[in-house]
Amino acid sequence: MRMVDLIVIGAGPAGMAAATEAAGLGLSVTVLDEQTAAGGQIYRAVTGAGAQRGAVLGQDYLDGADLARAMQASGLQHLTGAVVWNIEPDADGITVTWSQDGHAAQMRAARLILATGALERPVPIPGWTLPGVMTAGAGQILLKASGLVAERAVLAGSGPLLYLLAAQMVRAGTPPLALVETQSLRDTIRALPHLARGLRGWRTLLKGLGLLAELRRAGVRRISGARDLAVEGQDRATALGFAVGGATQRIACDTVLLHQGVVPNTQASRALRLDHDWLAAQQCFAPRLDAWGETSQPGIFVAGDGAGIAGALAAAEAGRLAACQVAHQLGRIDAGKRDARARAPAARLGAERALRPFLDAAYPPAAQVLSPADDTIICRCEEVTAGQVRGWARLGCSGPNQTKAFGRVGMGPCQGRYCGLSVTALLAEAQGIDPADVGAYRIRAPLKPVTLGEVASLDLAEPAE
Amino acid sequence: MQADYAIIGGGIVGLSVAWGLLRRGRRVIVLDGDDGSFRASRGNFGLVWVQSKGLNQPAYARWSQQSAALWKGFAAELGEGAGTDLSLRQEGGYDFHLDEAELEARVAQYSALRDTLGGDYPFEVLGHNALKREEPEVGPRVAGAILHHQDGHVNPLRLLRGLAADVRRQGGQVLTSQTVTDVTQTDGGLRVTCASGQVVEAGRVVLSAGLGAMDLGAKLGFAAPVRPQRGQVLITEKLPKMMNRPSGIIRQVDEGGIQIGDSKEEVGLDDRVTTPTVAAIAARAVAVMPRLEKAQMVRSWGALRIMSPDGLPIYQHSPTLPGVSLVTCHSGVTLAAAHALRLPQWLEGDADAPDLEVFSERRFALS
Repeated sequence: MRMVDLIVIGAGPAGMAAATEAAGLGLSVTVLDEQTAAGGQIYRAVTGAGAQRGAVLGQDYLDGADLARAMQASGLQHLTGAVVWNIEPDADGITVTWSQDGHAAQMRAARLILATGALERPVPIPGWTLPGVMTAGAGQILLKASGLVAERAVLAGSGPLLYLLAAQMVRAGTPPLALVETQSLRDTIRALPHLARGLRGWRTLLKGLGLLAELRRAGVRRISGARDLAVEGQDRATALGFAVGGATQRIACDTVLLHQGVVPNTQASRALRLDHDWLAAQQCFAPRLDAWGETSQPGIFVAGDGAGIAGALAAAEAGRLAACQVAHQLGRIDAGKRDARARAPAARLGAERALRPFLDAAYPPAAQVLSPADDTIICRCEEVTAGQVRGWARLGCSGPNQTKAFGRVGMGPCQGRYCGLSVTALLAEAQGIDPADVGAYRIRAPLKPVTLGEVASLDLAEPAE
Repeated sequence: MQADYAIIGGGIVGLSVAWGLLRRGRRVIVLDGDDGSFRASRGNFGLVWVQSKGLNQPAYARWSQQSAALWKGFAAELGEGAGTDLSLRQEGGYDFHLDEAELEARVAQYSALRDTLGGDYPFEVLGHNALKREEPEVGPRVAGAILHHQDGHVNPLRLLRGLAADVRRQGGQVLTSQTVTDVTQTDGGLRVTCASGQVVEAGRVVLSAGLGAMDLGAKLGFAAPVRPQRGQVLITEKLPKMMNRPSGIIRQVDEGGIQIGDSKEEVGLDDRVTTPTVAAIAARAVAVMPRLEKAQMVRSWGALRIMSPDGLPIYQHSPTLPGVSLVTCHSGVTLAAAHALRLPQWLEGDADAPDLEVFSERRFALS
C-alpha cells in the first residue's frame, strides 16, 4: 500500500491551505476530496466560475480561487471525486479507504488532517420535508454550481448566510420574496457585550453591514423575531407561516430556503472515537484539539469548521498551523522555524475567531428547532418524530445509541449526520441533563454508502472472479 | 424489601427473565447500564436458531429447540403486551456452503446429532439446483446448503424495545445508567449497591449482565469464565425482497436491508470495525448472492458476544451468596423464549423446572 507523509481529507479552505503549506515544507501530500474540483462548500466550483457568476457571488468567493491555484501549483496529489469511507489509525500510521469512480482504494499516511468542514444545522419544523423546501446552503450550491436561482423564494431562519444568499439573489436579478428571521432584538442585545472584543474581526463585520445595506436598497422585506415557523402545502411547499409578536402571518411562495447556522461535520472524528466537547455557544459538538489542531489521537489533526464554526478565513489559517506542526513532527522543520512560520497565521486566526462570540449570540438557533414539537419529523431517513424520541427516553433510553436501537433513528443512509444533534438535544431535555453528558451516535464505516462490490474488492484473500 | 428480584443487566437476557418473573406475579427491579455499555442486545444478528447448536452437547441442542418451539407463543404474547410486531418468521434457515467437502462434513455432524436426539432434528440437504429453486438469487459458486426447518429469525431491536416496554407495563421497575458494584447479604435478603449510590433490596438477585459478569461474577461467588468475542456485521440499503429464508451469515431483515455477518475475533473489549474483515464478509456475501455486488452498504458495526469456554450458556446458583443466580449466554435472542417461560421455574426450584445441571459451572472445574 502506498504511504505518504500526509493525507488531507477535504479541499475547502482548511484543506487547501494545509496541503499547500505542508507541500511547501517538503512533505509528500495527498488530498482526498468528494467534489470534482477544489473549493469545498464555501468556494464550490470557484476555479470554473466565469465573470458573471463571480459578480453575483462576490469577491470573498473569488478569493477562494487563489487558494485553489496555490494548491495546484504546489504539485501535490489531489484526488477528486474521492469519497472517504473509513479511516483506521494504528501504531505506525493511518490507513484511509475511499471510493472513486466505483472503485475502492487505500493509502497510508504518517499524519492525517481532517478538513471536512461544516454541515447546515437541520431545521426540523412542520413541513420541512416537503418538496420545495431546501436549506439555504443547498440554494447557494445551485447558484455556485449551475447559476440557478430559486424563484418566488422565502428565506427563513437565522445566520449571516441568509444575508449573503439574499444579496446574491438580488444581484442575480431574482430577489427573495422575504427574509423571515428567527433571531430577535433580545438576541442582538445579548450579543452586544461581545462586540468590543469582536471588533478585531471588523472586516467581516463591515461586510455583514454592507450586505444588510444592499438588501435594504433592493427593498427586500425583512421580518425578525419570527416564531412557530411552518411550511404549508400538500404535495409541495405553497407558503411559509409564522408568528411575530401576537399575530400570525403567511407568505405564499414556491420555495422555502431554511437556515439555522452551520455545525461541525463530526462524522469522521466520531468514527475515529476522538474526544469531543459540547460547545454550548454553538449548540454542537466539536473534537477537542490542542493549539495546533491535533486531536486526542496523536497524529490526527482537525482544521477548519469541523473543529467549531469560525468561517473560511479562519479555516485556512488553522490549516496552515496544523501543517506546520505536522512538518515539525515529521522532522522537516525545527521548533523555531515552526513557531516563526506559525506566527502570522495564528494572529490572523485569533482576529477571525474574535468575532465569533458576537455572531453566535446574535444568531442563535431557534428554540423551535432545538426542541421540535412532538409530531415533527427529526430523522428523515427513517421518518422518526421528536415525540417518538421523547417516548423512548421514557422507556429508559439515556443516550442516542439506545434510541437508535429502539427506533432506527439515525440508521438510514445519512448515518445520523443530520438528526444526531436533534436526538442529543431531545434526550438532554427529557432527562434534564447537559448534552455533553448525553453524548452522540457512535459512527462507523462506511462514512458514506459504498457498494458491497467495492468493499469486497478490498478482500485480498478472495481472488476476483 | 423493595422487590422479589433484582435483575442485574437490562439487555435481552435480563429483560426476558424479568418479563417471565413479572408474568408469575413477582415484583422485579432491573438495573441497566448506560448508552456506552457493551450491548450485544443491539448488535446481534436476530436469529432464532437451532442448527449447529450443541453439536458436542445434545442438551444444548434440545434447550435451543425447546426455546425455538416456545418462541411463537412468546412473540405473540409479548407483541400484544408491548403493542409491537416482532416480525418472527420460523420457516427454516440455511447454512450455505461454497465447498462441497465442507458441506458433506457438516451433514455428517448433523446426522450424528440427529441420531443422538432420537431423530428430532429436521434438516435436509439442498444441492445447488434445489437451493436455486428456493432462493433464486444464489450464485454459481454455492455448492449447496443445509435447510433446517426449526430455524428462523426475528427483528431483534423490536424484541429489545418490546421487552423494555412490556416489563414496565407489567409493573417492573427499570433503573438506567447504573453500574452495580456489589451484592451483599442482609437480614432476610440481598442488597445490591451501585456506583451511583443507588441501593436496591431484593429477595433474589439474577446476574445477567453479559460481559459485566467478568467484573462482578467473582464477587458473587461465580467463576463466570466469559470473554468477549467480536463479530462484525454489515447491512445494506433497503432492498425489495430477494431472500425467502435467513442463513447463519446472510439474512434480509423485515425492513428490507440485507444483514451480513459474522466474524469471530478474539480481540478483547474492542468493538470497532476493521476494513479487512468487513471486506472479507462482503466478498463472501457477493459470492453467495452475486446481485449484492451493486447493493449499497450503509452501515457496519462490531458487537461483542459473551462467550463461555465451550460456547454454551451458564446457569448457576451462587455457592457463596444464597439467592443469587448467574444467567449468561451468547444466544440471548434464540433463548429469549426459554428464559422468559422456563427459567423462572428453575430460579424458584419448581418441580417442573428444566434440568439445567449440564449448564452449571461445575463443567469448568478441573477434573
